[in-house]
Amino acid sequence: MFYGLSGVHHANYVSDSRIFKVPADRNLAAFIFLIGIAAPFIIPSLYLNSYMLPWLIWTAAALGLNLVTGWAGQLHLGYAAVMAVGAYSAIHAARFGVPWEFALIIGGLTSSVIGSLFAFAALRVKGLYLALTTLAMQFVMDWVLTHSPAISGGSHASLQSPTLALLGQEITTDTGFYYVAFGWCVLVTIFMLNLKRTGLGRALVAVREKDFAAAILGVNSFYYKILAFATSSFIAGVSGALLVATFFFLAAPEQFSVNVSIQVLAMVIVGGLGSIIGSYFGVALILLVPGIVNGLVVTLSDGLGMQINVETLAHIPNAVYGALIVIVLLIEPLGLGKLYGNIRDYLMVWPFDQFKK
Amino acid sequence: MKKLTKALAVLSMFGGAMFGTQTLAEPFKIGICYDLSKAYTFATPQVSQAAMDLAKLINMKGGIGGEPVEVIVRDHGNEPQRGIECYSKLSREGVFVFDTLSTPVSLAILPRAMEDERILMQSLVGRGDAVDGTVFEWVYPVGPTYWGQAANDVAYIKQLHDGDLSDVKVGFVYFDYPFGQEPIEILETLSEKEGFELELYPVPLPGSDQAGVWSKVRRDKPDHVIVWMLGGAHVVASKEMQRNRIPMDKYISVNWLNEVDIANIGKEAAKGIKRGTNVVGGQDIALYQEIMAELYDKGEGSGPIEKTQDVFYNTGLAMYSIMFEAARRAAEQEGLPITAESYKAGLESLEGYDANGLMAPITVTAEDHGGGGKTRIEMWDGETWVPQTDWISEYTDVVWDVVKESSSKYEQ
Repeated sequence: MFYGLSGVHHANYVSDSRIFKVPADRNLAAFIFLIGIAAPFIIPSLYLNSYMLPWLIWTAAALGLNLVTGWAGQLHLGYAAVMAVGAYSAIHAARFGVPWEFALIIGGLTSSVIGSLFAFAALRVKGLYLALTTLAMQFVMDWVLTHSPAISGGSHASLQSPTLALLGQEITTDTGFYYVAFGWCVLVTIFMLNLKRTGLGRALVAVREKDFAAAILGVNSFYYKILAFATSSFIAGVSGALLVATFFFLAAPEQFSVNVSIQVLAMVIVGGLGSIIGSYFGVALILLVPGIVNGLVVTLSDGLGMQINVETLAHIPNAVYGALIVIVLLIEPLGLGKLYGNIRDYLMVWPFDQFKK
Repeated sequence: MKKLTKALAVLSMFGGAMFGTQTLAEPFKIGICYDLSKAYTFATPQVSQAAMDLAKLINMKGGIGGEPVEVIVRDHGNEPQRGIECYSKLSREGVFVFDTLSTPVSLAILPRAMEDERILMQSLVGRGDAVDGTVFEWVYPVGPTYWGQAANDVAYIKQLHDGDLSDVKVGFVYFDYPFGQEPIEILETLSEKEGFELELYPVPLPGSDQAGVWSKVRRDKPDHVIVWMLGGAHVVASKEMQRNRIPMDKYISVNWLNEVDIANIGKEAAKGIKRGTNVVGGQDIALYQEIMAELYDKGEGSGPIEKTQDVFYNTGLAMYSIMFEAARRAAEQEGLPITAESYKAGLESLEGYDANGLMAPITVTAEDHGGGGKTRIEMWDGETWVPQTDWISEYTDVVWDVVKESSSKYEQ
């Protein structure tokens, strides 16, 4: 009823490998896309500026990590460091006078190069060992950042980002920043949607499932692992640069520290490994829920006229937030993306499959 | 749609007239976006409690210019993203004075505050070069910078050695990240200028392992050790010092050393430990006594009384005395309502203000947003803090060279 499956047949390979096999999914995606475009006009600027914008940029970043962790199956605990490389090189390039379009690409490419170094570790170690190796690389990056004023920008290691300008247009308004973030997120999403149905995507999945089995099938796992790291690092680099250019306006090492790496990984895991819509949900839960719950708890305690100590007030949202993550993973270990998938499956031929039972 | 908005506008006007919201004065608000749950919890509860107590006390006395004051405390968990959210939210509610007490969040808010022309107070945190009012017009790090504090520590050591530092060895033990690295430049410059020998001892975060550092200190035998660490790291350091038989009185800490740390070290064991500070330690302070009499004795304090017996509570009182005094002056000079501009003028009219003996006197000007950066050295005698110097601010030319050099890199 909701999905209108009647009359949808996939008689050939091309039709079967469409991005949206069911028209209803495509319509839903188009609808959400339109909401995304209309957002600056329908969403109050506070929410646009401090919720939507970071949400979109972090989603793009999480999708990049999902590529290497969800698709290629390589655990990555140094993702924030790769974002930092992109952010710092793009800002330095922009400060040097390179136009922002190229600065962003330079940021992405530098990240790709440094991020691919992580891949060399991945070629020898797997699983938890790889996680530890990448974590070590994160610490190396942190150290380099805090110990080289030339990179981090001197006083208290903060580097001012020049005004963002794309296609000769200076971007200074909240709406402008939002559209840049939105555009980037849509771009990455389309890339990821298409990745699923290409040979590259299938090769990555083969490497994830068993790399030596993939090798026997003729998939060069060495090549694909490096490719996965390089691509995801490129996305990380540009996302990191955009995060600073449109949101922080200033880069500092704390914005890309080890706990940020863990946060991004949490976004991907809570959202669901290998799930695109899941990344959107995961980022929303990890990034936005603490702030929202905090606001709710404060409003609630004000509304009820309770005299709660500010410290307790700050810790209640943390407890609620932690509980939410545990509950989500208990209900559906495969993450929020799978949860959405379950609901979709349930409604797919509703109410007809309910009759069967 | 137009009709609807018009109708709503008329309705709200009526509503306003009926309930008198139009005539009711908007309180002067300070937005306190603090990290009450993560890294800065060693100080934020005491400081925010001081802010709330002070606001209560001022309201009991009739507010500022007849208007009540309000402090809005929110948690940002030391995440820049949530700090920005807090800032954006409160600024839409009409707040134009902010304090974050967190370096990452302060850094994240700074570009926005400069752009929006809102006041960012950042005593003791954030980038030190923000004391340069000619560059950072809207940022007020009132209180000492870490650079100034370190310079004053050196001045104290110079006093101890009768003005001659040529055969003195000073060790610098610091957290190996921007907070701890900041004073290095100034110490190196002063070491060249005064001829003392400087030894650097970086401590990896989180500072729970300092065994290697202090055995190296024992071998090098510095005459004094200036320490740039926080919280539990002081306790670890004191244990290692005892193990290496380094006397406690060599230890000169940054201002982040409080009664909790002393209790953890042990009141007796901590005898002789020194710290730089811009506020008077202990409870023998007029403002503190007044708050006790008016609030806590009547059971109206904003939190547990134990939290007030902490030097960070005094630090909070000092920070917010300055903020409210500036508001009072703004109201006096340019009347109500207080705006960001009049508040700025209020801040810059502070001259020799010491909140009735609570802290080092500060004089804020349009050029110097730090208020002069005076500190003094206090020593723990087993029971209380004993001042070792007057309020001093030395080597200001050297400090300002570093400030200017650094601030000139902003906006390039």
